Amino acid sequence: MFERRLYHHIDFGLLVAITVLCLLGLTQIYSAAGGWTTIVQTQIYAIVIGVAALLVCLSVDYRSLADKSHFIYVAVILLLLYVLFFGAVRGGSRRWIDLGVFNLQPSEFVKAALALVLAKFFGENRRGAVTNIDLAVAAALTAVPLLLVAQQPDLGTAATLIPVAFAVAYVAGMPKRLLGVLALTALLAAPVAWKFGLQDYQRERISTFLDPAQDARGAGYQQIQARITVGSGGVWGKGFTEGTQGQLRFLPVAHNDFIFSVLAEEQGFAGVVVALGLYLFVILRSLEAARLAKDRLGAYLVLGVLASFTFQVIYNITMSAGLAPVKGLTLPLMSYGGSSMIATLAGFGLILNVRMRRFTN
Amino acid sequence: MAQTEDRRRVALRLVVLQVSVVVTFAALAISFWYLQVVQHARFQEMAENNHQRTLALRAPRGVLFDRNGKVLVENRLSFNISIVREHTKDLDRTIGLLAAVAGLDPAYVRQVVDRHRSEPTYRPIVIIEDASMSQVAAVTARRLDFELPDVLVQQVPTRQYPTDALAAHVFGYVGEASDAQRSGSIVGQSGIEHVYNNLLQGEDGARQVVVNSVGREIRTEAELPPTEGRRVQLTIDYDLQKAAEDGFRHAGFNGSAVILDPRNGEVLSLVSLPSYDPNDFAAGIDRATWASLNSDALRPLQNRAIQGRYSPGSTFKIVIATAGLEEGIIDDDFRVNCSGGAHFYGRYYRDLSSHGSVDVRHALEKSCNVFFYTVGNMLGVDKIHKWAERLGMTGKTGIDLPNEQESLVPSSEWKMRQFGERWYPGETISVAIGQGQVSVTPASLAMMITTVANGGTKVVPHIVRAVDEGEGWQMAVPPVVADSVAFKPATLAALHDGLWMVVNAFGTGGRARIPGRDVAGKTGTAQVISSEGRARARGSDRDLRDHGFFVFFAPKENPVIAGVIFGEHNEHGYLGAPIAKHVIETYFAKQEGQPLPQLAPIVPPSPAEADPDTAPVEQQAPIATTTPNSHPSTPARGALSNVEGQRPTPNVGG
Repeated sequence: MFERRLYHHIDFGLLVAITVLCLLGLTQIYSAAGGWTTIVQTQIYAIVIGVAALLVCLSVDYRSLADKSHFIYVAVILLLLYVLFFGAVRGGSRRWIDLGVFNLQPSEFVKAALALVLAKFFGENRRGAVTNIDLAVAAALTAVPLLLVAQQPDLGTAATLIPVAFAVAYVAGMPKRLLGVLALTALLAAPVAWKFGLQDYQRERISTFLDPAQDARGAGYQQIQARITVGSGGVWGKGFTEGTQGQLRFLPVAHNDFIFSVLAEEQGFAGVVVALGLYLFVILRSLEAARLAKDRLGAYLVLGVLASFTFQVIYNITMSAGLAPVKGLTLPLMSYGGSSMIATLAGFGLILNVRMRRFTN
Repeated sequence: MAQTEDRRRVALRLVVLQVSVVVTFAALAISFWYLQVVQHARFQEMAENNHQRTLALRAPRGVLFDRNGKVLVENRLSFNISIVREHTKDLDRTIGLLAAVAGLDPAYVRQVVDRHRSEPTYRPIVIIEDASMSQVAAVTARRLDFELPDVLVQQVPTRQYPTDALAAHVFGYVGEASDAQRSGSIVGQSGIEHVYNNLLQGEDGARQVVVNSVGREIRTEAELPPTEGRRVQLTIDYDLQKAAEDGFRHAGFNGSAVILDPRNGEVLSLVSLPSYDPNDFAAGIDRATWASLNSDALRPLQNRAIQGRYSPGSTFKIVIATAGLEEGIIDDDFRVNCSGGAHFYGRYYRDLSSHGSVDVRHALEKSCNVFFYTVGNMLGVDKIHKWAERLGMTGKTGIDLPNEQESLVPSSEWKMRQFGERWYPGETISVAIGQGQVSVTPASLAMMITTVANGGTKVVPHIVRAVDEGEGWQMAVPPVVADSVAFKPATLAALHDGLWMVVNAFGTGGRARIPGRDVAGKTGTAQVISSEGRARARGSDRDLRDHGFFVFFAPKENPVIAGVIFGEHNEHGYLGAPIAKHVIETYFAKQEGQPLPQLAPIVPPSPAEADPDTAPVEQQAPIATTTPNSHPSTPARGALSNVEGQRPTPNVGG
């Protein structure tokens, strides 16, 4: 199954960048969590398991995976349903399956499953142009897991599914006019959604984002603290484990959602530029893989996986600087979080897979 | 064909995505650059304010010593419990919990917090000063439990004054600075604490600590220890101070004493009664105590020695005698025939008895009014004023205590300025016996008798003897000679003889007599209110009984101690004499290394006796005493009955 010549087509550049980001995250988790704690250890286990998942996703031909994508999709949906009824509750949301050793967060795996199923759907479409019916089916495929995840509630993760659908549909040939119409509809629907679609605390978060000072002790607190954390880092940073904002808990969940703020504080603008560069490299390199893909299926798969990754990276980093409303979205590859790490590495397994098999039949 | 077109579209759209990603990342990089480089200084400061807290370390105030090196006022350590709101998320919760833990009324705690609401949140708001050990223990336990991370327990030095209010008005008291800028710091509000605050307060230190997001201290980053205030030595002699205060307590009336070393103006003792306990202020006075001190009709906060102004009565005759002799208007042989009264400007002025033909010495001894009416009339008010000024009885004495009142001895110029009227010679007659417009502080009387004792050398009373600026004791104020006009030897002899006779012959000051000490003095009794006023005020609550003065020095030759005893509403000047006697005896016993005299625990109430100082100014006075026996007797004074073992018995008229 894993032919020896394929080995030479592995994108080692991408692998190295991913590895460096993982290690960067690990060191900042070490700093933010206050040294050698179980948090760091858990993260290491997650990386090890993630690498295993990456290897698995790399070795199986993506085409045979795509052939079984509907099974994978259904399996993940069933897991989400299970979570909805029997999942472990933490912090008011029901997101996890308690496996004893660790908690599995199925919503993290929805992204890859959705990417697979959409890639398969559009990739096998032989008609050439994308019809409205195709788009409706794709929308439905996206909507089912999205609604299930939103029910947990986990709006952040649910939102990452939208870029997946859009990216695949866009590259698959969605008419630009439709994009415009959708954008216009969203704009018009926003006030309605504001009034009826959001819960009080969500409205509060957004209004707080627009004016953090109005609630400096409550919801605006994290945002103000995030800006202080980043801004006080300066050009060269305060030094490893020398940050005050993260170390003294002015920034909540520093090792998790705000890991990039901690990096900015301790490593400064220099560290930020390096990390941004690495992420940009990873994204552009993956887009390259999509361009080089042997078939449309491969290209779509890469884009689907990459879309949620890119969306999450950009959103999280923007939030880390206090420039976006605070949402429980992790920074892929760097944030603490087992399921996210495993799912992300598995996703990159798929991307590497597509690139590696660009010459095979 | 479709395949390639398809490929081209995919490639094109991939380029669009590529460009979008690059642009987005560039925007992110610019955002971070803006935050981290352009606005770095601002956020740096915010981050530091977040986690650094500077706590003031209160400097211990300088220790006060008496003239012999005995510690009078020092510092003890007490605990302050404060709230630091900087990282408080729920102030109501903190207030409620702290109140419950410390056993306080939550409304009170809120009130305190509200009073400091506008201050910076990092500044601790002191809720409990001088907290009890159980309060400290309770709060500390909660703090460790992270329940009250925003509550701070600090050890602070607190002023410790002598118990039983010894020399309270000299020390004054300390309190929180009133201006918001210095809120929380303790400054002297009165007395020596106020006047020498800059020396005494030292320099507060600071401790810079790192706190976490709930305000809990993580570690100390830097510490600047406080500098203790300068040590200050007072001229006060603890034993004399105690003797004077004991004397008053024993005598059973309020009043004031100012006792000086006539050679240099050092204040050996300064008493004002009733008093207050400066310890009540040291750890933040509670409202009830403050209100009662302020509303007390006896005004315990007033320093009578320098803030109370009274008619000096017959003690003022010393000024008249000095003026007459120095101006050459009278001499040793000048005599006045006293027949119990005399006419001046168409009005009859009484004396208490007929003293016959008296010279200046006997006039002083017997406190003959007619003699001094006559001399005063010969002098005129402006010469009287001039000599009162020379003797230090006008204006302020210049003592180093705050809020001294100006003493007043009238002059024609003063009257013109004040009332736009010329002075009528008839007014001089009452001035001559220290009534009328004459209104002076006990301190100015002390200065007068000191100047007389010195033979004309006026010295400014002062309380601080030496200051230790860090290199040992430095004399703070060199003995001040304000004005020196040596009296003619004849003047000096006449004054000293007459005043000696007051105590040692047939005068009114016999109660101050100490064999071998040659005490000289003069009593005075002053009306609190004019006779008509007395009639009007009948039935009101005001205490209208006369005030008594006793000015003294000892020994007659080369005096080493001089002063005034003022008895508030004690009715007779001579009642101050025993207090003076006790102080003088203590002084000499101490000089000679003898055991200090003790006051007998029980003093039999004194029968009213003839008081020649009680001088009716106008003939029409309905209550004017015409004979020594007619003075109203004094049944059990309220203050007297407080003395332990005192059996109040009605006085028997002479």
